Amino acid sequence: MAREVISSGNDLAAMAAVDAGCMFFGGYPITPSSEVMHTISDLLPKVGGTCIQMEDEIGGICAAIGAAMSGVRSMTATSGPGMSLKAENLGLAQMAEVPLVVVDVMRGGPSTGLPTRVSQGDVAQAKNPSHGDYKSITLCAGDLTECYTETVRAFNLADRFMQPVIVLLDETIGHMHGKAVLPDLEEVKAGIKPRKTFDGPVEEYRPYGVAQDEPAVLNPMFKGYRYHFTGLHHDAMGFPTEEIETCRKLIDRLFRKVDEHRDELEYNEEYKLDDADILLIGYGSASLAIKEAINRLRDEGIKAGMFRPITLWPSPEERLFELGQKFDKVLSVELNQGQYLEEIQRAMGRKDIQKLTKTNGRPFSPQDIIDKVKEVF
Amino acid sequence: MSRIVMRFTGVGGQGVLLAGEIFAAAKIKMGGYGVKTATYTSQVRGGPTVVDIQLDDEEIWYPYAIDGQIDFMLSVADKSYQLFKDGVTEGGIIVIDPNLVYPTDEDRKKWRIVEIPIITIAKEEVGNVITQSVVALAIANTFTNAIPEDVLIETMLSKVPKKVHEANLKAYELGKKYALEALEKMK
Repeated sequence: MAREVISSGNDLAAMAAVDAGCMFFGGYPITPSSEVMHTISDLLPKVGGTCIQMEDEIGGICAAIGAAMSGVRSMTATSGPGMSLKAENLGLAQMAEVPLVVVDVMRGGPSTGLPTRVSQGDVAQAKNPSHGDYKSITLCAGDLTECYTETVRAFNLADRFMQPVIVLLDETIGHMHGKAVLPDLEEVKAGIKPRKTFDGPVEEYRPYGVAQDEPAVLNPMFKGYRYHFTGLHHDAMGFPTEEIETCRKLIDRLFRKVDEHRDELEYNEEYKLDDADILLIGYGSASLAIKEAINRLRDEGIKAGMFRPITLWPSPEERLFELGQKFDKVLSVELNQGQYLEEIQRAMGRKDIQKLTKTNGRPFSPQDIIDKVKEVF
Repeated sequence: MSRIVMRFTGVGGQGVLLAGEIFAAAKIKMGGYGVKTATYTSQVRGGPTVVDIQLDDEEIWYPYAIDGQIDFMLSVADKSYQLFKDGVTEGGIIVIDPNLVYPTDEDRKKWRIVEIPIITIAKEEVGNVITQSVVALAIANTFTNAIPEDVLIETMLSKVPKKVHEANLKAYELGKKYALEALEKMK
Protein backbone atom coordinates (compact mmCIF):
# COMPACT_ATOMS: atom_id res chain seq x y z
CA MET A 1 0.00 0.00 0.00
CA ALA A 2 1.19 3.50 -0.75
CA ARG A 3 2.24 5.40 2.35
CA GLU A 4 1.19 8.92 3.16
CA VAL A 5 3.72 10.78 5.29
CA ILE A 6 4.14 14.34 6.50
CA SER A 7 7.76 15.27 6.21
CA SER A 8 10.41 17.48 4.65
CA GLY A 9 12.46 16.83 1.52
CA ASN A 10 15.70 16.28 3.40
CA ASP A 11 14.10 13.83 5.83
CA LEU A 12 12.51 11.97 2.92
CA ALA A 13 15.88 11.60 1.18
CA ALA A 14 17.31 10.05 4.36
CA MET A 15 14.30 7.76 4.75
CA ALA A 16 14.54 6.69 1.12
CA ALA A 17 18.20 5.81 1.48
CA VAL A 18 17.52 3.47 4.39
CA ASP A 19 14.51 1.92 2.64
CA ALA A 20 16.69 1.38 -0.45
CA GLY A 21 19.16 -0.60 1.62
CA CYS A 22 21.79 2.06 2.31
CA MET A 23 23.96 0.89 5.22
CA PHE A 24 26.54 3.65 5.40
CA PHE A 25 26.56 7.40 5.49
CA GLY A 26 29.77 9.38 5.70
CA GLY A 27 29.46 13.13 5.72
CA TYR A 28 29.84 16.51 7.25
CA PRO A 29 26.75 18.61 7.94
CA ILE A 30 26.19 21.77 5.93
CA THR A 31 23.16 24.02 5.50
CA PRO A 32 20.73 23.39 3.85
CA SER A 33 21.46 19.65 3.71
CA SER A 34 22.11 18.99 7.42
CA GLU A 35 18.77 17.31 8.11
CA VAL A 36 19.67 14.50 5.70
CA MET A 37 22.55 13.61 8.01
CA HIS A 38 20.60 14.28 11.24
CA THR A 39 17.82 11.96 10.17
CA ILE A 40 19.97 9.21 8.72
CA SER A 41 22.15 9.23 11.87
CA ASP A 42 18.99 8.30 13.72
CA LEU A 43 17.72 5.73 11.20
CA LEU A 44 20.87 3.83 10.21
CA PRO A 45 21.84 2.38 13.62
CA LYS A 46 18.33 0.95 13.92
CA VAL A 47 18.91 -1.24 10.86
CA GLY A 48 22.49 -2.14 11.76
CA GLY A 49 24.00 0.55 9.54
CA THR A 50 26.63 3.17 10.29
CA CYS A 51 26.64 6.93 10.09
CA ILE A 52 29.87 8.77 10.68
CA GLN A 53 30.57 12.48 10.85
CA MET A 54 34.02 12.94 9.39
CA GLU A 55 36.42 15.84 9.86
CA ASP A 56 35.17 17.59 6.73
CA GLU A 57 33.35 17.02 3.43
CA ILE A 58 36.37 15.38 1.84
CA GLY A 59 36.58 12.86 4.66
CA GLY A 60 32.85 12.28 4.28
CA ILE A 61 32.98 11.17 0.67
CA CYS A 62 36.20 9.19 1.21
CA ALA A 63 34.53 7.21 3.99
CA ALA A 64 31.49 6.65 1.79
CA ILE A 65 33.68 5.42 -1.09
CA GLY A 66 35.48 3.03 1.25
CA ALA A 67 32.18 1.64 2.53
CA ALA A 68 30.95 1.17 -1.04
CA MET A 69 34.13 -0.80 -1.86
CA SER A 70 33.20 -3.22 0.91
CA GLY A 71 29.99 -3.96 -0.98
CA VAL A 72 27.33 -1.97 0.90
CA ARG A 73 25.12 0.78 -0.43
CA SER A 74 26.66 4.04 0.66
CA MET A 75 25.82 7.72 0.63
CA THR A 76 26.91 11.23 1.44
CA ALA A 77 24.97 14.49 1.45
CA THR A 78 26.09 18.08 1.19
CA SER A 79 25.53 21.44 -0.43
CA GLY A 80 27.46 23.37 -3.09
CA PRO A 81 30.58 24.20 -1.06
CA GLY A 82 30.76 20.55 -0.03
CA MET A 83 30.40 19.44 -3.65
CA SER A 84 33.43 21.54 -4.51
CA LEU A 85 35.42 19.83 -1.75
CA LYS A 86 34.19 16.39 -2.77
CA ALA A 87 34.97 16.96 -6.44
CA GLU A 88 38.35 15.23 -6.52
CA ASN A 89 36.93 12.09 -4.96
CA LEU A 90 33.85 12.14 -7.17
CA GLY A 91 36.37 11.87 -9.98
CA LEU A 92 38.06 8.96 -8.24
CA ALA A 93 34.71 7.18 -7.88
CA GLN A 94 34.03 7.77 -11.59
CA MET A 95 37.41 6.41 -12.61
CA ALA A 96 37.46 3.43 -10.27
CA GLU A 97 33.71 2.82 -10.83
CA VAL A 98 32.46 3.00 -7.28
CA PRO A 99 28.68 3.14 -6.80
CA LEU A 100 27.68 5.96 -4.49
CA VAL A 101 24.76 8.32 -3.93
CA VAL A 102 25.53 11.98 -3.35
CA VAL A 103 22.68 14.26 -2.33
CA ASP A 104 23.39 17.94 -3.05
CA VAL A 105 20.88 20.32 -1.50
CA MET A 106 21.63 23.46 -3.51
CA ARG A 107 22.05 26.89 -1.94
CA GLY A 108 23.22 30.21 -3.32
CA GLY A 109 26.82 30.28 -4.55
CA PRO A 110 29.57 30.58 -5.66
CA SER A 111 31.78 29.92 -2.64
CA THR A 112 29.89 30.04 0.66
CA GLY A 113 27.29 32.20 -1.09
CA LEU A 114 23.89 32.31 0.58
CA PRO A 115 23.83 29.43 3.07
CA THR A 116 20.11 29.44 3.90
CA ARG A 117 18.74 30.46 0.53
CA VAL A 118 17.59 28.62 -2.53
CA SER A 119 19.46 28.26 -5.81
CA GLN A 120 19.88 25.84 -8.69
CA GLY A 121 23.45 26.88 -9.25
CA ASP A 122 25.07 23.45 -9.03
CA VAL A 123 23.49 22.04 -12.18
CA ALA A 124 26.50 22.68 -14.41
CA GLN A 125 28.86 21.47 -11.70
CA ALA A 126 26.92 18.22 -11.37
CA LYS A 127 27.64 17.45 -15.03
CA ASN A 128 31.38 17.52 -14.51
CA PRO A 129 32.28 17.95 -10.83
CA SER A 130 35.94 17.09 -11.29
CA HIS A 131 38.58 17.18 -13.98
CA GLY A 132 38.71 14.50 -16.65
CA ASP A 133 36.26 12.85 -19.01
CA TYR A 134 33.28 10.84 -17.83
CA LYS A 135 29.50 10.85 -17.95
CA SER A 136 27.70 12.06 -14.86
CA ILE A 137 24.31 10.75 -13.84
CA THR A 138 22.32 13.46 -12.07
CA LEU A 139 18.71 13.31 -10.92
CA CYS A 140 16.67 16.27 -9.71
CA ALA A 141 13.64 15.99 -7.42
CA GLY A 142 10.72 18.31 -8.18
CA ASP A 143 8.44 17.67 -5.20
CA LEU A 144 8.46 16.01 -1.78
CA THR A 145 7.52 12.58 -3.09
CA GLU A 146 10.42 12.68 -5.54
CA CYS A 147 12.89 13.46 -2.76
CA TYR A 148 12.09 9.91 -1.74
CA THR A 149 11.61 8.17 -5.08
CA GLU A 150 14.60 9.78 -6.81
CA THR A 151 16.90 8.85 -3.93
CA VAL A 152 15.73 5.25 -4.23
CA ARG A 153 16.25 5.37 -7.99
CA ALA A 154 19.71 6.83 -7.48
CA PHE A 155 20.81 3.83 -5.43
CA ASN A 156 19.58 1.41 -8.08
CA LEU A 157 21.27 3.38 -10.86
CA ALA A 158 24.53 3.66 -8.92
CA ASP A 159 24.71 -0.12 -8.62
CA ARG A 160 23.63 -0.63 -12.22
CA PHE A 161 26.13 1.81 -13.72
CA MET A 162 28.82 1.51 -11.04
CA GLN A 163 29.44 5.20 -10.54
CA PRO A 164 28.35 8.07 -8.30
CA VAL A 165 24.79 9.26 -8.87
CA ILE A 166 24.04 12.83 -7.79
CA VAL A 167 20.59 13.71 -6.46
CA LEU A 168 19.96 17.43 -6.63
CA LEU A 169 17.54 18.93 -4.16
CA ASP A 170 17.48 22.61 -3.28
CA GLU A 171 16.82 24.65 -0.16
CA THR A 172 13.14 25.06 -0.97
CA ILE A 173 12.42 21.42 -1.56
CA GLY A 174 14.79 20.16 1.14
CA HIS A 175 13.17 22.26 3.83
CA MET A 176 9.55 22.41 2.73
CA HIS A 177 7.27 20.41 4.95
CA GLY A 178 4.06 18.76 3.80
CA LYS A 179 2.43 15.65 2.44
CA ALA A 180 4.26 13.06 0.40
CA VAL A 181 2.79 9.86 -0.97
CA LEU A 182 5.45 7.17 -0.98
CA PRO A 183 5.45 3.83 -2.76
CA ASP A 184 4.80 0.69 -0.77
CA LEU A 185 7.87 -0.33 1.25
CA GLU A 186 7.76 -3.91 0.00
CA GLU A 187 7.67 -2.58 -3.54
CA VAL A 188 10.77 -0.45 -2.85
CA LYS A 189 12.57 -3.42 -1.34
CA ALA A 190 11.54 -5.69 -4.21
CA GLY A 191 12.90 -3.08 -6.64
CA ILE A 192 16.39 -3.14 -5.14
CA LYS A 193 18.76 -4.41 -7.79
CA PRO A 194 22.08 -5.17 -6.13
CA ARG A 195 25.25 -4.61 -8.09
CA LYS A 196 26.62 -7.44 -10.19
CA THR A 197 29.25 -9.68 -8.69
CA PHE A 198 31.52 -12.30 -10.20
CA ASP A 199 31.28 -15.74 -8.62
CA GLY A 200 33.44 -17.77 -10.99
CA PRO A 201 36.99 -18.99 -10.26
CA VAL A 202 39.15 -16.34 -8.59
CA GLU A 203 41.86 -16.64 -11.25
CA GLU A 204 39.37 -15.71 -13.98
CA TYR A 205 38.12 -12.53 -12.26
CA ARG A 206 38.72 -9.40 -14.40
CA PRO A 207 36.79 -6.58 -12.68
CA TYR A 208 37.46 -4.03 -15.40
CA GLY A 209 37.64 -6.50 -18.27
CA VAL A 210 34.03 -6.09 -19.35
CA ALA A 211 32.13 -5.30 -22.56
CA GLN A 212 32.65 -1.78 -23.95
CA ASP A 213 29.15 -0.67 -22.96
CA GLU A 214 29.15 -2.20 -19.50
CA PRO A 215 30.35 -1.05 -16.07
CA ALA A 216 33.04 -2.76 -14.04
CA VAL A 217 32.09 -5.75 -11.91
CA LEU A 218 33.57 -4.96 -8.51
CA ASN A 219 33.18 -7.69 -5.94
CA PRO A 220 33.21 -6.56 -2.31
CA MET A 221 36.80 -6.23 -1.13
CA PHE A 222 38.28 -8.73 1.32
CA LYS A 223 36.08 -11.59 0.16
CA GLY A 224 38.73 -13.48 -1.75
CA TYR A 225 38.51 -11.72 -5.12
CA ARG A 226 41.55 -9.49 -5.35
CA TYR A 227 42.01 -6.47 -7.59
CA HIS A 228 43.75 -3.15 -7.57
CA PHE A 229 41.92 0.12 -6.87
CA THR A 230 43.29 3.32 -8.38
CA GLY A 231 42.48 6.66 -9.94
CA LEU A 232 45.18 6.05 -12.55
CA HIS A 233 44.33 4.60 -15.94
CA HIS A 234 44.16 0.88 -15.31
CA ASP A 235 43.95 -2.52 -16.95
CA ALA A 236 41.39 -5.30 -16.51
CA MET A 237 42.74 -6.08 -13.02
CA GLY A 238 42.83 -2.44 -11.97
CA PHE A 239 46.62 -2.09 -12.16
CA PRO A 240 48.00 1.19 -13.50
CA THR A 241 48.94 1.19 -17.15
CA GLU A 242 49.78 3.63 -19.92
CA GLU A 243 49.24 1.10 -22.67
CA ILE A 244 47.73 3.11 -25.53
CA GLU A 245 44.75 0.95 -26.44
CA THR A 246 43.83 0.16 -22.83
CA CYS A 247 43.74 3.88 -21.96
CA ARG A 248 41.60 4.70 -24.99
CA LYS A 249 39.17 1.90 -24.28
CA LEU A 250 38.79 2.77 -20.61
CA ILE A 251 37.51 6.31 -21.15
CA ASP A 252 35.50 5.19 -24.16
CA ARG A 253 33.80 2.64 -21.93
CA LEU A 254 33.07 5.18 -19.15
CA PHE A 255 31.08 7.11 -21.77
CA ARG A 256 29.48 4.20 -23.57
CA LYS A 257 28.26 2.43 -20.43
CA VAL A 258 26.01 5.47 -19.91
CA ASP A 259 25.38 6.68 -23.46
CA GLU A 260 24.29 3.31 -24.80
CA HIS A 261 21.78 2.80 -22.00
CA ARG A 262 20.13 6.21 -21.91
CA ASP A 263 16.74 4.54 -22.08
CA GLU A 264 17.35 3.20 -18.56
CA LEU A 265 18.10 6.71 -17.32
CA GLU A 266 15.76 9.12 -19.05
CA TYR A 267 12.84 10.27 -16.92
CA ASN A 268 10.78 13.40 -17.53
CA GLU A 269 7.46 14.93 -16.61
CA GLU A 270 5.25 16.56 -19.24
CA TYR A 271 2.64 18.78 -17.61
CA LYS A 272 -0.33 20.00 -19.65
CA LEU A 273 1.75 19.90 -22.83
CA ASP A 274 -0.75 18.18 -25.14
CA ASP A 275 -2.74 21.27 -26.09
CA ALA A 276 -0.14 23.89 -25.14
CA ASP A 277 1.09 26.74 -27.34
CA ILE A 278 3.85 27.80 -24.98
CA LEU A 279 6.52 25.46 -23.66
CA LEU A 280 8.06 26.18 -20.27
CA ILE A 281 11.10 24.16 -19.27
CA GLY A 282 12.14 23.90 -15.66
CA TYR A 283 13.19 21.42 -13.00
CA GLY A 284 13.45 21.06 -9.23
CA SER A 285 11.60 23.50 -7.01
CA ALA A 286 11.23 26.03 -9.86
CA SER A 287 8.72 23.61 -11.38
CA LEU A 288 6.36 24.19 -8.43
CA ALA A 289 6.06 27.88 -9.31
CA ILE A 290 5.82 26.94 -13.00
CA LYS A 291 2.86 24.61 -12.38
CA GLU A 292 1.03 27.25 -10.41
CA ALA A 293 1.78 29.80 -13.15
CA ILE A 294 0.54 27.44 -15.88
CA ASN A 295 -2.76 26.93 -14.09
CA ARG A 296 -3.26 30.66 -13.66
CA LEU A 297 -2.27 31.40 -17.27
CA ARG A 298 -4.78 28.81 -18.44
CA ASP A 299 -7.48 30.53 -16.37
CA GLU A 300 -6.77 33.55 -18.57
CA GLY A 301 -6.89 31.46 -21.74
CA ILE A 302 -3.11 31.27 -22.30
CA LYS A 303 -2.22 27.65 -23.00
CA ALA A 304 1.14 26.92 -21.46
CA GLY A 305 2.62 23.56 -20.50
CA MET A 306 5.81 22.32 -18.93
CA PHE A 307 8.58 19.89 -19.76
CA ARG A 308 10.52 18.90 -16.68
CA PRO A 309 13.61 16.72 -16.92
CA ILE A 310 13.95 14.62 -13.75
CA THR A 311 17.14 13.00 -14.98
CA LEU A 312 19.15 16.15 -15.74
CA TRP A 313 22.35 14.38 -16.85
CA PRO A 314 22.51 12.80 -19.30
CA SER A 315 19.98 15.24 -20.68
CA PRO A 316 16.87 14.09 -22.57
CA GLU A 317 18.35 15.48 -25.78
CA GLU A 318 16.13 13.64 -28.24
CA ARG A 319 12.91 14.65 -26.52
CA LEU A 320 14.19 18.22 -26.23
CA PHE A 321 14.91 18.22 -29.97
CA GLU A 322 11.38 16.99 -30.74
CA LEU A 323 9.84 19.61 -28.48
CA GLY A 324 12.00 22.29 -30.08
CA GLN A 325 10.52 21.30 -33.44
CA LYS A 326 6.98 21.31 -32.11
CA PHE A 327 6.97 24.51 -30.07
CA ASP A 328 7.76 27.91 -31.41
CA LYS A 329 7.54 29.64 -28.04
CA VAL A 330 9.95 28.21 -25.50
CA LEU A 331 10.87 29.70 -22.12
CA SER A 332 13.52 28.20 -19.84
CA VAL A 333 13.07 28.92 -16.14
CA GLU A 334 15.88 28.25 -13.66
CA LEU A 335 17.38 29.61 -10.46
CA ASN A 336 20.78 30.31 -12.01
CA GLN A 337 21.96 32.37 -14.95
CA GLY A 338 21.01 29.75 -17.52
CA GLN A 339 23.10 26.66 -16.83
CA TYR A 340 20.61 24.22 -18.31
CA LEU A 341 19.54 26.69 -20.97
CA GLU A 342 22.82 25.98 -22.76
CA GLU A 343 21.94 22.30 -22.87
CA ILE A 344 18.43 23.06 -24.13
CA GLN A 345 19.87 25.27 -26.89
CA ARG A 346 22.32 22.55 -27.85
CA ALA A 347 19.73 19.77 -27.86
CA MET A 348 17.12 21.82 -29.72
CA GLY A 349 19.67 23.34 -32.10
CA ARG A 350 18.06 26.72 -31.45
CA LYS A 351 19.32 30.01 -30.06
CA ASP A 352 15.95 31.74 -29.69
CA ILE A 353 14.94 30.21 -26.38
CA GLN A 354 13.66 32.81 -23.93
CA LYS A 355 14.99 32.68 -20.41
CA LEU A 356 13.87 33.62 -16.92
CA THR A 357 16.63 33.42 -14.34
CA LYS A 358 17.13 34.48 -10.74
CA THR A 359 20.24 34.39 -8.58
CA ASN A 360 19.43 36.44 -5.48
CA GLY A 361 18.65 33.49 -3.25
CA ARG A 362 14.91 33.97 -3.56
CA PRO A 363 12.51 31.54 -5.22
CA PHE A 364 10.50 32.37 -8.33
CA SER A 365 6.95 33.36 -7.58
CA PRO A 366 4.27 32.20 -10.02
CA GLN A 367 3.74 35.88 -10.87
CA ASP A 368 7.39 36.22 -12.01
CA ILE A 369 6.71 33.51 -14.57
CA ILE A 370 3.31 34.84 -15.64
CA ASP A 371 4.80 38.30 -16.19
CA LYS A 372 7.69 36.89 -18.23
CA VAL A 373 5.38 34.79 -20.42
CA LYS A 374 3.23 37.85 -21.15
CA GLU A 375 6.29 40.00 -21.80
CA VAL A 376 8.06 37.75 -24.30
CA PHE A 377 5.26 35.95 -26.13
CA MET B 1 -12.78 25.60 1.22
CA SER B 2 -10.69 28.29 -0.35
CA ARG B 3 -7.03 28.43 0.52
CA ILE B 4 -5.99 29.64 3.96
CA VAL B 5 -2.68 31.46 3.93
CA MET B 6 -0.93 32.40 7.16
CA ARG B 7 2.45 33.85 7.96
CA PHE B 8 4.28 33.62 11.29
CA THR B 9 7.28 35.86 11.78
CA GLY B 10 9.85 36.13 14.51
CA VAL B 11 13.58 35.82 14.94
CA GLY B 12 15.64 32.65 14.72
CA GLY B 13 15.51 30.60 17.90
CA GLN B 14 11.99 31.63 18.97
CA GLY B 15 10.50 28.38 17.76
CA VAL B 16 7.82 29.70 15.42
CA LEU B 17 8.47 26.78 13.07
CA LEU B 18 6.54 24.27 15.14
CA ALA B 19 3.16 25.99 14.88
CA GLY B 20 3.40 25.82 11.08
CA GLU B 21 4.18 22.12 11.11
CA ILE B 22 1.20 21.46 13.39
CA PHE B 23 -1.18 23.32 11.08
CA ALA B 24 0.06 21.48 7.99
CA ALA B 25 -0.05 18.09 9.69
CA ALA B 26 -3.57 18.65 11.02
CA LYS B 27 -4.88 19.63 7.60
CA ILE B 28 -3.26 16.59 5.99
CA LYS B 29 -4.75 14.34 8.69
CA MET B 30 -8.14 15.61 7.61
CA GLY B 31 -7.45 14.50 4.05
CA GLY B 32 -6.47 17.93 2.71
CA TYR B 33 -3.19 19.51 1.73
CA GLY B 34 -0.90 21.56 3.93
CA VAL B 35 2.51 23.01 3.23
CA LYS B 36 4.91 24.81 5.52
CA THR B 37 8.00 26.65 4.41
CA ALA B 38 10.46 28.52 6.58
CA THR B 39 12.83 31.19 5.43
CA TYR B 40 15.62 32.28 7.67
CA THR B 41 19.00 33.93 7.51
CA SER B 42 22.39 32.39 8.15
CA GLN B 43 22.53 33.95 11.63
CA VAL B 44 22.10 31.14 14.15
CA ARG B 45 19.91 33.24 16.43
CA GLY B 46 18.40 36.66 16.03
CA GLY B 47 17.91 36.73 12.26
CA PRO B 48 14.45 37.45 10.89
CA THR B 49 12.49 34.26 10.33
CA VAL B 50 9.31 33.79 8.36
CA VAL B 51 7.11 30.73 8.28
CA ASP B 52 4.45 30.44 5.59
CA ILE B 53 1.53 28.08 6.01
CA GLN B 54 -0.92 27.18 3.28
CA LEU B 55 -3.90 24.92 3.81
CA ASP B 56 -6.25 23.78 1.08
CA ASP B 57 -8.54 20.95 0.02
CA GLU B 58 -6.88 21.05 -3.41
CA GLU B 59 -3.24 20.22 -4.10
CA ILE B 60 -0.83 23.07 -3.40
CA TRP B 61 2.07 23.38 -5.86
CA TYR B 62 3.92 26.54 -4.95
CA PRO B 63 4.96 26.24 -1.31
CA TYR B 64 5.40 29.90 -0.35
CA ALA B 65 2.71 32.38 0.59
CA ILE B 66 2.33 34.98 -2.12
CA ASP B 67 2.78 38.58 -0.98
CA GLY B 68 -0.50 40.41 -1.13
CA GLN B 69 -2.51 37.23 -0.58
CA ILE B 70 -1.85 36.71 3.13
CA ASP B 71 -4.94 37.15 5.31
CA PHE B 72 -3.36 36.47 8.66
CA MET B 73 0.06 37.23 10.08
CA LEU B 74 1.42 36.79 13.56
CA SER B 75 4.60 38.52 14.63
CA VAL B 76 6.75 38.36 17.73
CA ALA B 77 9.73 40.43 16.56
CA ASP B 78 9.81 43.95 15.21
CA LYS B 79 12.49 43.49 12.57
CA SER B 80 10.62 40.63 10.95
CA TYR B 81 7.31 42.45 11.32
CA GLN B 82 8.70 45.43 9.42
CA LEU B 83 10.27 43.18 6.79
CA PHE B 84 7.23 41.03 6.05
CA LYS B 85 4.14 43.10 6.90
CA ASP B 86 3.64 44.25 3.32
CA GLY B 87 2.70 40.72 2.26
CA VAL B 88 -0.56 41.01 4.20
CA THR B 89 -3.66 42.03 2.25
CA GLU B 90 -5.14 45.40 3.12
CA GLY B 91 -7.62 44.92 5.93
CA GLY B 92 -5.99 41.62 6.92
CA ILE B 93 -5.36 40.68 10.52
CA ILE B 94 -1.92 41.05 12.08
CA VAL B 95 -1.49 39.76 15.63
CA ILE B 96 1.53 41.27 17.34
CA ASP B 97 3.19 41.01 20.70
CA PRO B 98 2.96 44.68 21.78
CA ASN B 99 6.07 44.35 23.93
CA LEU B 100 8.20 43.40 20.93
CA VAL B 101 6.54 44.82 17.82
CA TYR B 102 5.90 48.48 17.12
CA PRO B 103 3.47 49.20 14.31
CA THR B 104 3.10 52.75 12.98
CA ASP B 105 -0.16 54.67 12.98
CA GLU B 106 -0.31 54.13 9.25
CA ASP B 107 -0.02 50.38 9.76
CA ARG B 108 -2.99 50.52 12.10
CA LYS B 109 -5.06 52.13 9.35
CA LYS B 110 -4.00 49.64 6.72
CA TRP B 111 -4.42 46.41 8.69
CA ARG B 112 -6.45 45.20 11.64
CA ILE B 113 -3.69 45.04 14.22
CA VAL B 114 -4.41 42.96 17.30
CA GLU B 115 -2.18 43.19 20.36
CA ILE B 116 -1.71 40.04 22.41
CA PRO B 117 1.35 39.70 24.69
CA ILE B 118 2.20 36.21 23.41
CA ILE B 119 5.64 35.88 24.98
CA THR B 120 4.48 37.19 28.37
CA ILE B 121 1.54 34.77 28.38
CA ALA B 122 3.87 31.86 27.69
CA LYS B 123 6.53 33.00 30.15
CA GLU B 124 4.36 34.12 33.04
CA GLU B 125 0.92 32.54 32.77
CA VAL B 126 1.97 29.15 31.37
CA GLY B 127 5.37 29.31 33.02
CA ASN B 128 7.36 28.05 30.03
CA VAL B 129 8.50 30.37 27.26
CA ILE B 130 8.79 27.48 24.80
CA THR B 131 4.99 27.15 24.78
CA GLN B 132 4.78 30.45 22.86
CA SER B 133 4.39 28.55 19.61
CA VAL B 134 1.29 26.81 20.97
CA VAL B 135 -0.10 30.12 22.26
CA ALA B 136 0.45 31.42 18.73
CA LEU B 137 -1.16 28.30 17.25
CA ALA B 138 -4.31 28.80 19.31
CA ILE B 139 -4.50 32.49 18.43
CA ALA B 140 -4.06 31.81 14.72
CA ASN B 141 -6.70 29.11 14.69
CA THR B 142 -9.17 31.19 16.65
CA PHE B 143 -8.85 33.99 14.11
CA THR B 144 -8.83 31.85 10.96
CA ASN B 145 -10.96 28.82 11.95
CA ALA B 146 -8.57 26.85 9.78
CA ILE B 147 -8.78 23.51 11.58
CA PRO B 148 -11.39 22.00 13.93
CA GLU B 149 -10.03 22.53 17.41
CA ASP B 150 -10.03 18.88 18.50
CA VAL B 151 -7.98 17.83 15.45
CA LEU B 152 -5.50 20.66 15.97
CA ILE B 153 -5.01 19.92 19.67
CA GLU B 154 -4.60 16.20 19.00
CA THR B 155 -1.98 16.95 16.33
CA MET B 156 -0.22 19.40 18.63
CA LEU B 157 -0.01 16.86 21.44
CA SER B 158 1.44 14.28 19.06
CA LYS B 159 4.31 16.69 18.28
CA VAL B 160 5.39 17.65 21.82
CA PRO B 161 6.87 15.42 24.54
CA LYS B 162 4.38 13.88 26.96
CA LYS B 163 5.81 15.60 30.02
CA VAL B 164 4.84 19.00 28.61
CA HIS B 165 1.35 18.02 27.42
CA GLU B 166 -0.30 19.77 30.33
CA ALA B 167 1.66 23.00 29.86
CA ASN B 168 0.86 23.04 26.16
CA LEU B 169 -2.84 22.40 26.73
CA LYS B 170 -2.80 25.34 29.12
CA ALA B 171 -0.96 27.42 26.52
CA TYR B 172 -3.61 26.53 23.94
CA GLU B 173 -6.47 27.50 26.25
CA LEU B 174 -4.83 30.80 27.15
CA GLY B 175 -4.09 31.66 23.54
CA LYS B 176 -7.68 30.95 22.63
CA LYS B 177 -8.99 33.01 25.55
CA TYR B 178 -6.91 36.06 24.61
CA ALA B 179 -7.87 35.72 20.95
CA LEU B 180 -11.58 35.50 21.75
CA GLU B 181 -11.29 38.60 23.95
CA ALA B 182 -9.53 40.44 21.14
CA LEU B 183 -12.20 39.35 18.66
CA GLU B 184 -14.89 40.60 21.02
CA LYS B 185 -13.17 44.01 21.19
CA MET B 186 -12.97 44.20 17.39
CA LYS B 187 -16.72 43.84 16.98
